[in-house]
Amino acid sequence: MMVKLIRSMAEALVGNPGEVQVLETRGGQTSVYELSVAKEDLGRIIGKRGQTVKSIRTILNAVSSKSNKKVVLEIVE
Amino acid sequence: MKDFMEIEAKTIDEAIEKACREYALPREKLNIEIISEGSGGFLGILSKRAKIRASVLSIDMDISGPFHEMPRSVSKDIPVETQDVNDIDIDMAETSRKMIEGILSRMGFPFPVSIKESDEYILLNIKGDGSGILIGKGGQTLDALQYIVNKALNKNGKERKRIILDTENYREKREKSLVTLARKLGEKAKRIKKPVTVNPMNAHDRRIIHLALQNDKELVTKSKGEGAFRKIIIVPNKKG
Repeated sequence: MMVKLIRSMAEALVGNPGEVQVLETRGGQTSVYELSVAKEDLGRIIGKRGQTVKSIRTILNAVSSKSNKKVVLEIVE
Repeated sequence: MKDFMEIEAKTIDEAIEKACREYALPREKLNIEIISEGSGGFLGILSKRAKIRASVLSIDMDISGPFHEMPRSVSKDIPVETQDVNDIDIDMAETSRKMIEGILSRMGFPFPVSIKESDEYILLNIKGDGSGILIGKGGQTLDALQYIVNKALNKNGKERKRIILDTENYREKREKSLVTLARKLGEKAKRIKKPVTVNPMNAHDRRIIHLALQNDKELVTKSKGEGAFRKIIIVPNKKG
């Protein structure tokens, strides 16, 4: 579910939706998601002062708070 | 085949010539309607292209002659144009609604979203379940969703309407509680005769605080700090 959510938001934000990739590493307490996008889209995903990625993380945390699990979103180059 | 063709060129003459070639008919056999006359502009920059609508002249029209031709072309023009403009508007509101519904359903909240549109903004109201999970602490989840939808729709850099998200009447409640907070802190500043700092807030919330106190002659409001840490300081007026 998280992968689909991250992917849909990322695809809406970038110029090259075809290059959006999300990698999931599940853990007991924490799950880590690695998001990669086309190089020219990095700025769009991070946003001014990281505002965009901060918003994505806020949304992910709202979802994960239901299941008492932690979510970590990393952006990989 | 479409019964008419819209053609753009530098001049009307060129457009008509092009139309003749497209239909492989001489000018006399075509019904030409001028949509916009081209203008030369400045050294070719800012020039407006001439636009015509061409259709094959049918035999009926030939008989009824120039009588029918003029009113037809005038009345035909107007509805087509306005419909185009409306389509774009509906499109943006609809697109934003679909986007937010898509994100919500992937979050596990398949709530319906209704649209209210004005000249400056599109208000999307999410019919929540009353749990407040979509709002988050201090409205941060709702603001994050709003931010993402605005960013996603404005990525082409075109000037568009602002999208405002609301659920369970949160925006109005928030405004009321901020105004109450502003008045309370304003009173405190006057009482202790010292500046009072308000917690960091986003631009929208800060604006509400500034507006709530702008008519109070005994107080001055200022903003300090950068980015997410920007906050308001309420200062009692020295003379007051």
